[in-house]
Amino acid sequence: MSVQYTPVIWNRNKIFYDAVLLIAVALYLYIYIRVAPGYEDVTKPIDGAILRMRAFGSCAFLMLTVILCIGPLARLDRRFLPLLYNRRHFGVMTAGIAAVHANYVLTWYYNFSPTDKYVALLSSNTNYGQVLGFPFETLGIAALLILFVLAATSHDFWLSFLGAPIWKALHMFIYAAYACVVLHVALGALQGAGDPIFTSVVAASVVLVSGLHFATGRMEARRDRGEETAKASLQEKGWLVAGELDEIDDDCAKVVTLSDDERVAIFKYDGKLSAITNACAHQNGPLGEGKVLWGCITCPWHGYQYNLSDGRAPAPFTEKISTYKLKLIGSTILLDPNALPPGTHVDPVEIGEAA
Amino acid sequence: MQSAALLLELGRWYLMAGGVVAAAFLVFGIDRVEPSARGSYAFRPLLIPGICLIWPLVLYRWFTLEKHGEDAR
Repeated sequence: MSVQYTPVIWNRNKIFYDAVLLIAVALYLYIYIRVAPGYEDVTKPIDGAILRMRAFGSCAFLMLTVILCIGPLARLDRRFLPLLYNRRHFGVMTAGIAAVHANYVLTWYYNFSPTDKYVALLSSNTNYGQVLGFPFETLGIAALLILFVLAATSHDFWLSFLGAPIWKALHMFIYAAYACVVLHVALGALQGAGDPIFTSVVAASVVLVSGLHFATGRMEARRDRGEETAKASLQEKGWLVAGELDEIDDDCAKVVTLSDDERVAIFKYDGKLSAITNACAHQNGPLGEGKVLWGCITCPWHGYQYNLSDGRAPAPFTEKISTYKLKLIGSTILLDPNALPPGTHVDPVEIGEAA
Repeated sequence: MQSAALLLELGRWYLMAGGVVAAAFLVFGIDRVEPSARGSYAFRPLLIPGICLIWPLVLYRWFTLEKHGEDAR
């Protein structure tokens, strides 16, 4: 990465996203804390602190549900992609709301004990061997710790520093956090006086999150099968698997050997792919080792240039080289090994559309 | 009660060790292993909570990147 880091990169879309999110959260909390008590059972009034505790807790739970639904929704329907755009701020805000919930719990239930409130939180119930009366607070603490770690490692720096595999594995713990939260709620709040609305909300959340992930998994499996079939059918027609898209760096090439005297250079540039012979028309210089500039490849030996879409040197030069047809199935590049006559135009494969 | 107090004490020591790692990494390490961080200082305080929480992983990556450079990324 060559851009210098800043604390937060803001733009109009992000500001709008965050504003909508803040307004939605504030509205939810306002309705829960100010409006909803007007409809509560007057024989079972709820203390203000407990109400705020539940408001922030349920808000964090719903936010976590939405966060987990955004990924599969965006894969199922591209119209949900804008929700994916600034999901990291959504996550950080969720960790903040969950922390406020935890703070209300600590200051309400454990503040007036001579024992340190954190010690009291961990030691007031240690019946880990039973389901009813399970110390559900521990599950909440585990979820909160995971949310803290994920929020604290959401800056771009962490992705670069930890590397994509470690960073992704770390952030997959969001599912562990969700499982902990569901159990925290199921073994805690749902064990108290029956609240059909909250029970239904928790059940709906679990069904929604699991259902969307299942549907996305099925869709991707079906797409993978389709891609495999398309690949097999092209291979039957003589096309060759030239490699995977991520094997080629931007503005560089992968060289594929067809026979002892025939090599093809497949270039990735400007979000497109094109294939030309690897041999320069001048002195057979290795074009695949050259770099792409403005859609033209420059031979590293003597600087001869060719347009990648038709293998022709830019005017006034007249050299021509062979081009090849490519197809992109998923992220696999397939190459038609039959060279086209030098200078034949072949539409470059758009990576964005096919991948 | 004793176990809870011990656990919290361990947590406190873990975070304090994280603070030491954060100071060392943000002053000496980050410029050596993260080219995009060179000359950028405003974002560094944002990294402190993360380093305190996962400092063993930070140390591992710091040493790996020092040893293998960009190949480790």
